[in-house]
Amino acid sequence: MIRLVLDRFVGMVFTMALVSLLVFLIMELPPGDYADRYAFRKYSGTGVNVTEGDIQAIREDLGLDKPLVFRYVDWIGNIVLYGDFGQAFAFETPVTKVIGDKVWLTLGILFATLIVTYLISIPIGIFAAVNRGSSGDYLLTVFSYLGLALPNFLLALILLYFANRWFGADIGGLMSPAFERAPWSLAKLWDVIAHLWLPAFVLAWSAVAYQLQTVRATMSDELNKLSVTAARARGVPETKLLIKYPARLAINPVVSTIGFDVNRIFSELPIVAAVLGLTELGELLLRAYLDLDMYVAGAILLMLTFAIVFMNFVSDILLAWLDPRIKLGS
Amino acid sequence: MEPLLTVENLTVSFRTDEGLITPVMGVGFTVYKGKTLGLVGESGSGKSVSTKALIRLLPGSARIAPDSRMHYRAKSGELIKIETLGNRGPAIRHLRGGEIGMIFQEPMASFSPVYTIGNQIMEAVRLHRGLSGRQARTLAVDMLDKVGISNPRDRVDQYPHELSGGMRQRAMIALALSAGPALLIADEPTTALDVTVQAQVLELMRGLQDELGMGLIFITHDLGVIAQIAEEVAVMYLGTIVERGPTRAVIRAPQHPYTQGLLRAIPSLDRLNDRLQAVPGDIPSPLERPTGCGFHPRCPHKIAGLCDTTAPAETAAGPGRRVRCWLNEESGRPAA
Repeated sequence: MIRLVLDRFVGMVFTMALVSLLVFLIMELPPGDYADRYAFRKYSGTGVNVTEGDIQAIREDLGLDKPLVFRYVDWIGNIVLYGDFGQAFAFETPVTKVIGDKVWLTLGILFATLIVTYLISIPIGIFAAVNRGSSGDYLLTVFSYLGLALPNFLLALILLYFANRWFGADIGGLMSPAFERAPWSLAKLWDVIAHLWLPAFVLAWSAVAYQLQTVRATMSDELNKLSVTAARARGVPETKLLIKYPARLAINPVVSTIGFDVNRIFSELPIVAAVLGLTELGELLLRAYLDLDMYVAGAILLMLTFAIVFMNFVSDILLAWLDPRIKLGS
Repeated sequence: MEPLLTVENLTVSFRTDEGLITPVMGVGFTVYKGKTLGLVGESGSGKSVSTKALIRLLPGSARIAPDSRMHYRAKSGELIKIETLGNRGPAIRHLRGGEIGMIFQEPMASFSPVYTIGNQIMEAVRLHRGLSGRQARTLAVDMLDKVGISNPRDRVDQYPHELSGGMRQRAMIALALSAGPALLIADEPTTALDVTVQAQVLELMRGLQDELGMGLIFITHDLGVIAQIAEEVAVMYLGTIVERGPTRAVIRAPQHPYTQGLLRAIPSLDRLNDRLQAVPGDIPSPLERPTGCGFHPRCPHKIAGLCDTTAPAETAAGPGRRVRCWLNEESGRPAA
């Protein structure tokens, strides 16, 4: 097991290095650089004539004139060694300051969504498989197709309306206005958690519908296995039996797609965030791209992809723990 | 001698999309302590369903007819009426494994692949022997040793896929026995094994049965295997027992045309140049049960106008033998 964890860990670090290079190249892709943008911002409408030489001077000033390889090594070196993500040009402060809390809030939404997804879909999927063909099963099937069909920004609006009408929840945001500028404290954390369930639920909605069907299908297969009958034939109590034998294998496809779920959450987050008025990274990423503020964009892309790569690592380890045949195969 | 298990008039039906089917109809048999009953029949003859009913392992769509009787004498001396127990609850769980153990056809599939064999054996030990921790482990190792697995101390921590087919079936036997059952049901335990391994496993089961004094129900489609292990045999066809009696007598002089056909279908080294004789036709689906005697469409001796209209009753046919066939009834009964 330790060998496997080390093995996968090395794989993860290697992937992250490749990903960082890719991210850097993507940052370079948009035509022009921040020097153009800076000159345009500063002098447009002032009547000053900007020459190619002026822009070159700005470029040198910002350190954008060095060759690509040097800039990559500088960039990633500073991140790894000092946790320094470079300058946010548009804000004229370090990137870490611009991103700041938003990273934690985004990660908070991510984990809350994953937890909600699995806490709902796994037990209910198991229930549906065990009671296959019952009215409860059919109801859940209809419900989950509805979940797949309904776009989640629409769901966000509906839920927001009812959350406000029935529970008096604040409209949007990730914390009460009172806490917005307050330093982090237990009360603030609790406030965030109280706000988090709504976006988490909205983002989890379609994944729940999908994973529920996955668990139901694999669980139905597993329930018919002879090993389950054999365990029943030696008198194992039913609930313990379901969890120990079929469920452990039935959640396998769910665990192996954690990475996909993370990916999907990140792509759906900006729309849901826009509807719910959340501050998260997606919106900032879009702005950074428009401004050609490449280090901000790079930092965000890097964080998001690292989160995906890391969750894939976690999923690999979990899979090996669930099914010991996996580590023996490697 | 008092029987360990008495089954009378066992009838099991299933609700299916095509309608009600009844794969087991009025089956009865008796198992004694230390003795082996062989249940023989083709796939679909109802032999597995009738034994699964004994520990209530049938799926939810199954119904056991109200006049079925399955009476089991527990180790404590108490008489358990299995037909009155449900599919769930402590009473049936105590019976499963603890009183009546079961071994299945496919040794690979009967172990869960994600737990060590020791884990699964110790689970049975904990449930039925009240042992835990080190004691349960010691018993598991002893049992693996008893069934002839070498290095039991290492094997106990191995996963099922690390063992060969024969080893796995031995481990499965160890698992079933470690819970200390008084009756063991073996559902085609040697069918999936190589012939040489088959003989070893049969030898092992016979030895363990002698040692532990268990009753044994041995299910197979192979009359050759039955000859080696069972004192008494019951031949099933389409959910009913068509012939029963002491194994030797039945094999030497089968009286039901179906038993005769099964015996002719066994390959033999003495008849290498002959073609194998299969029982003609297929076992019908329980949905299309023939009228009269279930075997009449395949029977070479059928009596037109009798076999296809009226089902024969079970009649005596020699010492300890009974057969369900009009041929016997005709000859056994004085002409009216």
